[in-house]
Amino acid sequence: MTDMPRQITLQEWDQQYEQLQKAGLYQPDYGGLLSRHIEDGDTRLSKLRYDNSAAALRLWNFLLTEEERLHKARAEGKKLVGTMKDLGTIPVMAYSLDNLVAFYPDGAWWIPCVMELNTPLLRIADTLGIDESFCPVRAMLGAFLTGAHFPIPDLLTCSVGATCDDFSAIAQRLNGLGYPILWWEIPHRRCPEPDEPMVMLPGGFLAPKSQVEFVESELNRLKTALEDLAGRRLDDRKLSAGIKKANLVRSYLAELRQLVFTAPLCPMPALEMLIAEMLAIHFCSDQNETIIVLQGLLEEVKSRVRAGVGFLSPDAARIFWVNPVADLQVMNLLEDCGGRICGTEYLFTHALDTIPQNLPPIEALAQMALADPMAGSSIDRASRICTDIRTFGAEALLISRIPGASHCALEGQVIGEIVQDQLDIPVVEIEVPPLTGSIRPKLCTRLEALVEIVKKRREK
Amino acid sequence: MICAGIDAGSRTIKIVLMTAETQEVIAKGLADQGVKQDKLTSGLFQKLLKNSALDKKDIGRIVATGYGRNAVSIADTTITEITCHAVGVRHLVPDAMTVIDIGGEDSKLMRLDKAGKVRDFAMNDRCAAGTGRFLEVVARRLGVSISSLGQMAAKSRSPAPISSMCVVFAETEIIGLLASGVAREDIIAGVQSAIAARVTSLAGRNIDLPVVFTGGVALVSGMDTALQSALGQTVTVSPDPQMTGALGAAILSAEQITHY
Repeated sequence: MTDMPRQITLQEWDQQYEQLQKAGLYQPDYGGLLSRHIEDGDTRLSKLRYDNSAAALRLWNFLLTEEERLHKARAEGKKLVGTMKDLGTIPVMAYSLDNLVAFYPDGAWWIPCVMELNTPLLRIADTLGIDESFCPVRAMLGAFLTGAHFPIPDLLTCSVGATCDDFSAIAQRLNGLGYPILWWEIPHRRCPEPDEPMVMLPGGFLAPKSQVEFVESELNRLKTALEDLAGRRLDDRKLSAGIKKANLVRSYLAELRQLVFTAPLCPMPALEMLIAEMLAIHFCSDQNETIIVLQGLLEEVKSRVRAGVGFLSPDAARIFWVNPVADLQVMNLLEDCGGRICGTEYLFTHALDTIPQNLPPIEALAQMALADPMAGSSIDRASRICTDIRTFGAEALLISRIPGASHCALEGQVIGEIVQDQLDIPVVEIEVPPLTGSIRPKLCTRLEALVEIVKKRREK
Repeated sequence: MICAGIDAGSRTIKIVLMTAETQEVIAKGLADQGVKQDKLTSGLFQKLLKNSALDKKDIGRIVATGYGRNAVSIADTTITEITCHAVGVRHLVPDAMTVIDIGGEDSKLMRLDKAGKVRDFAMNDRCAAGTGRFLEVVARRLGVSISSLGQMAAKSRSPAPISSMCVVFAETEIIGLLASGVAREDIIAGVQSAIAARVTSLAGRNIDLPVVFTGGVALVSGMDTALQSALGQTVTVSPDPQMTGALGAAILSAEQITHY
């Protein structure tokens, strides 16, 4: 364990960094002071509070150096694959070939979130007709046009069909600007007909076998494209090894989630857990390093749990959080208001489940892709949320909406009603725009009220 | 021991003083909100103390609520208006299951359980169309006082359809309606219906009865019937609706005194 767990500011991290260095802190090549990342305008970082462990430092440095890593990979002659609207399937395939690096261009939606008003990405999207009525992921258009963030990928893939309408429009606009995209279709997951052959997907949902076979055919098409790009064959042996490695990431995350969400004292803040969970879908452009970063976090959490130390009050309200936020400060805010995260559903729960290793690899990946919560009904999504709320013992559900994000704008009410019917716990919806400064008091009221409700319910 | 509840709302500050043991209200007061929120609150508090022949040291605990709760320096602690309104309303209407609170700058709907605890809530604070602010805008535009809105609306024979989506656009609609000769009474009734429609959308599909209406806007006559019409259910106006947040805060401060 690095130190007694504390949440510290960016400035305090500089002092903490010096102390850790004196104590012999090992730093990877992307390590260093966290404050250096605000030099390019990441002003939001200076407003966050961070976990004070060396493991968290490594996590943040890993996250904030992804662009450098991608440029380095290109310089080394590796091929870059931008896997758009894919939450955890194509990167597993791409990383099975050692000269490919996959990344998630959609992740550019966080750039304006952390850089606040210092980036023109959203303004560029505005000029392309993709205005604020669309999901903040539209920032990706600006990132492509300026080339100021990630290198333009050698291959762009994007799923269509049962995916977010907003993103489909944004990706089509990108395509129209001259960026070729290899589209692949993910069908809306439906319940099998009574006599129809069916498959139990990872996560427990049923799907018609024909749908799995269709996705397999799509993934085979993508496999060929990846092979062409890499100039190498992606055989079952390599794919199986890739799946095994992805499962290692998922198993670390599963253990981390279980420990953090159920420990009597919260051993890792909500913010760092959000960042860690995101690694499951994109590996932050380095799958091997992802494993090391997660191992470090897991060790830190285990030692904190063993020592019985952590953050927040032991009576913090146990909140299950649905959907990622567009402003990272809100994760700090929940804790300021007396809550702690005990369970999450950030729209990629399937990417946290183990990929079957007893199936032909493409079939296993097809099953995973079809298990995506966004590919099925809101009722399915709510059902999984109920299961996880029970697992982690959450006392309330908080549904966070992102303005303009159509994949979650209408689901909140459905999820809320089902959770209330099945579990009888309070449900509250909030809307988190990319810049929450002006609505912070209103968000506080909602979060504090939810915490008050939870605590009142504990009274007999 | 005497305790106090302060509701620092967006338009007005409300204070209730109560005996902790019997939960009997011994004084209450109201003042307009302003820029210097803390000073205005302290001023009202001192005035109430003086009128009640009390001193600050007689007050055992102060709970602040409302949008400006964190600016109240004399408060010992803060509790959200969601909890305070629920407690205040339940004190006055013991069988209330749903509370609708429409204030100056927001509106909320709280669902209670049988024990009176809040089960969940929904809030509208992104748009003035479901708040008292809409009534202020229409009163100004029509050149009438807010207190006369209810009486005028009662004379309406055909409420004008008005957008409930945005106050700014609705104001433009009102200008157009006036230009086309629509009676002011019909415009006011239309605005009341628009506010009610906006607020009732917070209820979702299920609403538990009885429904109690509170907050400053509940004092505007006709708003309760507009809500009834939009909900299709009976709506009861809470006694002393503007004070329920402060009352709830006072009750909770009394409970805290007893608890500690």
